[in-house]
Order: sequence, then structure tokens, then C-alpha cells
Amino acid sequence: MASTSLENVEDKEQEDPIRCIFFAEFHHIAGPKITCQVPDNYISKDIFDNVSVYIIPKAQLQRSTITITLKDYKILGFPVKIDDKKYARNAFYFNLCFVCDANARTVHYEPVVKKMSDFLMALEVENCFLSASDDKTRLAEMLAQVMQDLNLHKMCTLTEGTMTSHLKVVRLAPEPKPVLDHQVPIFLEDRDTFQNDQWDLTTQQVLPYIDGFNHVARIAAEADVENNLVKSCVQNLVYYGVVTLIPIFQYSNVYAVTPKLRKLPDDIKLQERCIAYASKLARQPAHFRDIYRMYSSMTYGVSMKDLCQRLNPQNLRINERRLVQFGLIEGLIRRVYNYPVLLPGASCSEEAKNNPIYKYFTGTYSLDEICCSTGQSAAQIEDIIERDPNVLMIWK
Amino acid sequence: MGIHPLSIILVKSDSKGDRLLFRYPHMTNHVRDLNQYTKRKNPYSLTNTEDLLQSLPFPTSNISNGNLTGLTDEVLSTLFAVKPELCEQKFELKVNDVRFVGHPTLVLSRGLKEVNSSMLFNIVFALQAQASHSIVKCYYDLSKRLGIALRHEEKRCGFLTDEIKIMVSTHDEIAGRSEGESDCDESPYELILQRSSLARGLKSVFSNLSSSGIVNIIINKWIQVRFCLPQKVHQSHKKGLLIDPEIIDRCLNSLRPYHGILLLTEPLDLLESLQIDCSPALKRLIQMYNPLKSLQTLAADSDLTLAQVFQLAGHLVYWAKATIIYPLCESNVYVVSPDAILTNQLLDSFSEHFPGVCLLQVINDFSLPTSISQKLNPLSQPQQQTQLVKIIIWLLKNHLLLQLHTYVRYIPTDIQDQETRDTNAMEGSESIWSLNETPKGTPTEIKEELSLTDKEDTLYDYQSEDYDIPSNDRKLLDKLCRLGYFDGDYHLEEIMYLENIRRSQLLQLLDKFRDVLMTSECEDAAIALFYSRLGT
Repeated sequence: MASTSLENVEDKEQEDPIRCIFFAEFHHIAGPKITCQVPDNYISKDIFDNVSVYIIPKAQLQRSTITITLKDYKILGFPVKIDDKKYARNAFYFNLCFVCDANARTVHYEPVVKKMSDFLMALEVENCFLSASDDKTRLAEMLAQVMQDLNLHKMCTLTEGTMTSHLKVVRLAPEPKPVLDHQVPIFLEDRDTFQNDQWDLTTQQVLPYIDGFNHVARIAAEADVENNLVKSCVQNLVYYGVVTLIPIFQYSNVYAVTPKLRKLPDDIKLQERCIAYASKLARQPAHFRDIYRMYSSMTYGVSMKDLCQRLNPQNLRINERRLVQFGLIEGLIRRVYNYPVLLPGASCSEEAKNNPIYKYFTGTYSLDEICCSTGQSAAQIEDIIERDPNVLMIWK
Repeated sequence: MGIHPLSIILVKSDSKGDRLLFRYPHMTNHVRDLNQYTKRKNPYSLTNTEDLLQSLPFPTSNISNGNLTGLTDEVLSTLFAVKPELCEQKFELKVNDVRFVGHPTLVLSRGLKEVNSSMLFNIVFALQAQASHSIVKCYYDLSKRLGIALRHEEKRCGFLTDEIKIMVSTHDEIAGRSEGESDCDESPYELILQRSSLARGLKSVFSNLSSSGIVNIIINKWIQVRFCLPQKVHQSHKKGLLIDPEIIDRCLNSLRPYHGILLLTEPLDLLESLQIDCSPALKRLIQMYNPLKSLQTLAADSDLTLAQVFQLAGHLVYWAKATIIYPLCESNVYVVSPDAILTNQLLDSFSEHFPGVCLLQVINDFSLPTSISQKLNPLSQPQQQTQLVKIIIWLLKNHLLLQLHTYVRYIPTDIQDQETRDTNAMEGSESIWSLNETPKGTPTEIKEELSLTDKEDTLYDYQSEDYDIPSNDRKLLDKLCRLGYFDGDYHLEEIMYLENIRRSQLLQLLDKFRDVLMTSECEDAAIALFYSRLGT
């Protein structure tokens, strides 16, 4: 699953390339020194001497990831110590370091440095790969290969003798928020272009039902998969940027425009995509000004129903559901939710006490959420709210 | 989110070597370390010392319960006593999941015996590793400021040397004591806190950062160091939103003379809290302050230049004393802010300010975009009006309301579409334009002119040839389009301000040319930066 990543994400990662990889060790006479570096002399001796205390640190900091930021460089290392009587000081200290630009993010390289250090450590323990001779040409080849492959392909396979190690840089994204019942997953990339078979079995079962209109609870029911499993599947897909979550589409929904809409008339590419996405028929694309008018008319107090009655998108060759989808994905519009609130201290009627729905009227649940958890339609709940003057509907 | 510091550490390095002088919060590390080592998953399991690769007892986290652990004083002091080449610049070191940031400062020691010896000290903040670049930068700035202040005090009266002497002697005293007597588990840091004013100062820095985000200490009763951690200060009214200095800068860059400020505290309280040596301009500005005034009016009233008022406003916003609004006026349209969370605390605070009024009901009235003039009843009493204005100010202060502006975008009728309509119009003998109440141009003329224009490049640029109505309105439209006001980036208030025209004139224009002028209601981007769900 981890092998899926979007192109644009990779583009972003390319911004923080590894500039240099060096191997430093503690020489029993000369002290800390760089014994192998690719490209050669990227980190000069003076600079190394300034920071050697962080590269070959005290025993307490062994096997910690240590990153030191200098004016021009960021050096990421993982100091390792091998205890053995055969070494000059009864121990062999080394550190494999990646060097990046000072303002780069290096957190995603940490596991790689650690794994590669462990690989080198294993080689050293097996056949004294690092300490046997002063000739480091093989190590230099290895470092050059790692740097090139990681910068180009984000992965690298190292083979030395009988041992192999696979290195991969994994993008770190913030943990996606928990998925809720009433949210609708929608694909961000073209569905046909990605391979179904690289996902796990549950995801494969869920994927066909992700169409941009079904909400999570419905997908769970239709795919016959347990609700929480669907949620974690969708959350996983969100993490990898395959899908995003949008609110469910209803004609009673209210949307408001965001400042981003102002960019739409100037961004020709976005416009073309918008027209292609929101047109009813590909052969007869909708006019941009009609699309723009639809979007700009969205505001507080105007539901999709009102908008459709006023502008009649079907005649304008616009598919209003896809229009809304596009606007939400691109952030041109946002949903205005309604939250029923029971006035505090209001004398509760008999119905309020008996009806379990009242416990949702706290102002923290939107109508969508209430519908989903109680299984009642929006119209039914609106009816209850309409009848009780103590319940207010706040739109935000 | 990592805005709170884990620890503050003071390290010195001179001819006698490096030493960790003070750290806060401090705790007895020994007890914890013992716990860590004795904790094994299975009490019967053997620790396999042979297997070098698998069983490595080194911790991967140096944070437990929000405290820095696993790093002894000696380790930290060697890490922070940097080489002279790295002094007087940013020091940033990440060990596992802790990020240390500081500004190593060099001072010439005033010691009488050694004349030319220099001493290095480093005030280091330990943060969580996920702290963002801008948070790290703010802490670096604080460390630098403290460093500069201490260096000055050292030069003036040897303050630092004296304080270091106190701390070192206390360390030695405790170390010596624990060898002789067995009953002293006392931490040297407790004693140092009692004896050293610098240590107390550092402690108050730490606790201020964790509680309010505003640091205000006077070092050696002489030099004042004031610092504000914007990410913390601006969080007091909103959870989950980090206001970085970059966001504030972006807001200030888009500040216009027609914007106003809204003080988040009472003007009198603010005046009292100001320093004695604060700028008289700031005092004057606060005295003249009124949420109904624009920055331009404020500048005129307080007799300051506009640039100065901008800077003062920026200052107030940075310190979370004020927020940017559009000055209150009758035509302002407000709606409930999307991130408004009505907590019980807010409800109580509201009913305290406005007894007898229910916040929920007030908020409910703004579920639909509502202007102040709509809320005002011509029959209502003057005090009701002032009450309404007060309520709106309170809501704005708590970011419960959002102001909507009307943006205008000029989009000409589609050329293709127009042609078909034109042909239709000719066949149907009725001009399409008459339907649109914009007569006097014959369809054929329009068609001819259109065919001359370059369709590709200027599809959405304004072409005055489209309309042939020799009226004042057309001239105004022509002018405003040419000036780019209808590119969607200007709201009505801004156009009114820049072109000095009346709202009614603009509304009339919008109505007449509603075919090509599309309006949308949206928040002002500069102000929206302070709302969590709207930013970026």
C-alpha cells in the first residue's frame, strides 16, 4: 500500500534532496574524522571539526537520531558503537550522515539513515567491512548509489556479499482526521489510472462504491463491509491522497463561495478542468460564464434547490451535482452546515423529553450527522425543529 | 502541536570547562532511569546480550509526560557548549524527538584575574521535534534577546559572573554534601532557585511561555526583556489554529486605509498595561480609538501619519491586543463565523455583559447575512441601537461573526453564445438587448464589432465596444473596468473608498449591467486569516 503516492507529492519531496552522504568514524589516534564522503569534500574539515561532538557523541547518545542545523547545512546522523575486544579502544564508533540544505525537512530520512546504519553495522559484525582496510572505495560506491537512487527514485536496494537491504523514503503526512458516517469520499485522481490490485482486500471491496455521492455509512451497507473497516479504509486512502472527503449532496444544501473562486476566471487551466468536469455532455461543454454565475450565486440562505429553480442548470448544460463536487474539491466553495440548538433553560415540552433526537440538539452536531446517526430524513428532523420554538437552527 | 517548551536550560563554557548551570523544570532523573532499566516486558525474559542487532536498550524518545528525560546534565552541557565558530548564530539540534534551539552568546569576562578570557553561555529551549519552523524561529529570537540583555548586564556590572558563581558554588556544595551525608536527595536546582535571581527569571520565562505566551522580565532589575509568542497568544480564543508571525505579516501586508482595528481589551486597561517608556504615538492612537473609525480617520484624529498607524496596528495585532475589522457601519453585512463554537463559557460571559439577552438567539439572527441597518428598527430607542453595536463588537471580538463583502467580476457574454443569440434576435425581429434593458445598440453593429476583436486573448478582458450606451453609467462602467476594479479582487467598499463614489451609484451600476457584472459574497481575505476554517 505504501508504494502508492501521487505525482504531485513526489514533486514536493524532490525539493529536499540529499546533498551529500558521509561516513565518519572515531579513529583511535586521530579522533573523529570523515573517512568517506560523496561528493568529495562537501563538508570541509573545518566544518566537521565544529560539529564532531554531535557526530561522534557521548555514549549516552548512541543510537539516537541527531540532527544539527548549521548556517548552510543540516546534518542528520545516527551514531553507532560496536563493542568488541578486537578494536583498538575496545569499541568501534561510526556514524553515517545525510547532509541536506539548512531549510530542508529531514524527518522522513531518519528511518532510512537508521536502517542503513544497521545494515553497515551488520556488515561490520559479519566481515569487518568497515574496519578491515583503509580503502573505502566500495563504501564510496555504495554511498554514491544510495544518494543517487534516493534522490531520483526515493528508493534504493543495497547488496553486499550475501546481504541485501532495501531503503525507501516514505513521505510523512499529518494523520488524517477520523472519518465520519455522513462524509462522502471522492476520487482525486482518475479512477481508471490506478491499479486496484495493489490495495488490500477490504479496500478492493470498498473501491467500486466510492463514486463521490455515496456516504460512508451507505458504502458500508452496499459493500457489505463493517462500518469501522470502511472508515479506516477511507482514512487510509485520504492519507495517500487518493480520495478526499466532501459533504453529502442534497438539494437542500447551502454553499458559500471562498476567496479562491476569484482566481477561477484568471486561471485558464482550472477553468478548462472545471468546464470538462461540470458539463453534462462532453460534446456540448457548458459556458464558463454560466458556471461562474452558478458558483457566485451560492451564498448563505440560498439552497441548491433555489439556485436550480432560478438558473436552471440543466438548460445551461451544467450538471449541478458535479459542479458542486468540483467546487468542493478545489476549495472554490464550502458547505454551510446547519446546527440545531435547543435553547438552554427553555421549558422542555413532553415531546422534547421523550424524543431521543433532542440529545443531538447541542449545537455540536450538524443536521447531516443527526440524520446519519438517527436514520431519519432531514425533512423529518426539520419538521420537529419547526414545531418547537425552543430549537434554533444556526447556519455556519 | 509543540508550541510549549519542554525545558529551559542555561549552559556556560569558559576556561574552566563547560557546565550546565540551571535547568527548569528539573526532576530527579535517577529515579526515572532506574525505572526504565528495570522495566522489561516479561519478568522471566532473559536479556540477550549476544544479539547485538536486536536488543538495544537505547530509548527513542526523550519526552515523558511532557518533560525532557534520558539526557543527563553532562551530556547536555557538552552538546550546548558549542565551538566558538558556531557562536552568535542560530543553534538548532534535534535529538530523537526533542528539538533544542538557542543563541550561543560570547561575552568578555570581567574577571579581574584573567583579563582576556571570553566566556560562552547558551540559553537553550527544548521543544518537541514537530514544532514548526516559525515556532523554532520565535524561540530562537527569545534566546537571542535574553542573551543580549545578559551580555549588557555583564558588561555593566558583571551580573552574569556573579550569578554563575552562585550557581556553580551551589552545585559544588550539593555534590560535596551528598558524598558525606546520605540523606540529601535535594536537587541543587531548588537551592539555586532560592539563591539566584537569574534562575528565578528563567523559571518565570518558562512558566510565562507555557501559560500566557507573553514574557516580561526585568533582568537584574535593570533591563527589561519583553517577548510575545504569537502562536500561543492568539490561541487563547481559538483552539486548533496556529497564528504564525507569517500569517500576521500576510494580514498586515493586505491592510488598507479603510480597514479599522478592534481592540480585544478595554482601551483603558490597555493604556494602563503599557510601559512607561512606550511610544506616545501608541497612547494617542489608543485614546482616539473607536471601532467605527477607519485607520485613515484614526491617523487624522491622532495626528499621526498613516504609515505610523499601520505599524502601530500591526504591533497591536501581533501582541493579540487588537484584530483587524472593517469599521462598523450600517451597511456592514455579518454572518455566523464557520468556526464559531458556542461554549457554555461564552454563553455565560455573554449574559454577564448583556443581561437578559440570549447569545444563541442573537447568533441565530445572523444565520442569514444580516446588515446592521436591517437589525435597526426606525422606531427603536437610541439605547437599543448602542446595545446592538455593543453586541456586535462583542461577537466580533470573540470571532463569532464574519463580515461578508460583495465582490464584482466582469465577465462578458460568451462570444459564441452571443452570436447565436444575435442571429436568433435578428430572425425573431426582437433584439436580445431590449430584454436586458440595455437598448440603443443594434445587434448587427455589435456583431460586426465583435468579429474585429481578438477572441482568444481578450476573452475576459473588458471591451467597451460590447455596449454602446452613451450614458453616464456606461462611462462609469468603462472607467471602473479599465481600472481593474471588476477583476474580482475588489469589494464594493474598497471601490467606494478608492474611487470616492457612493454605494447607491455602484448598486445602480450592478443592477443595470447585471448581465456582465457578476457578484459574489465573500469574506475579506485579510481578515479571514484569523478564522481557522477559512485561512489559506
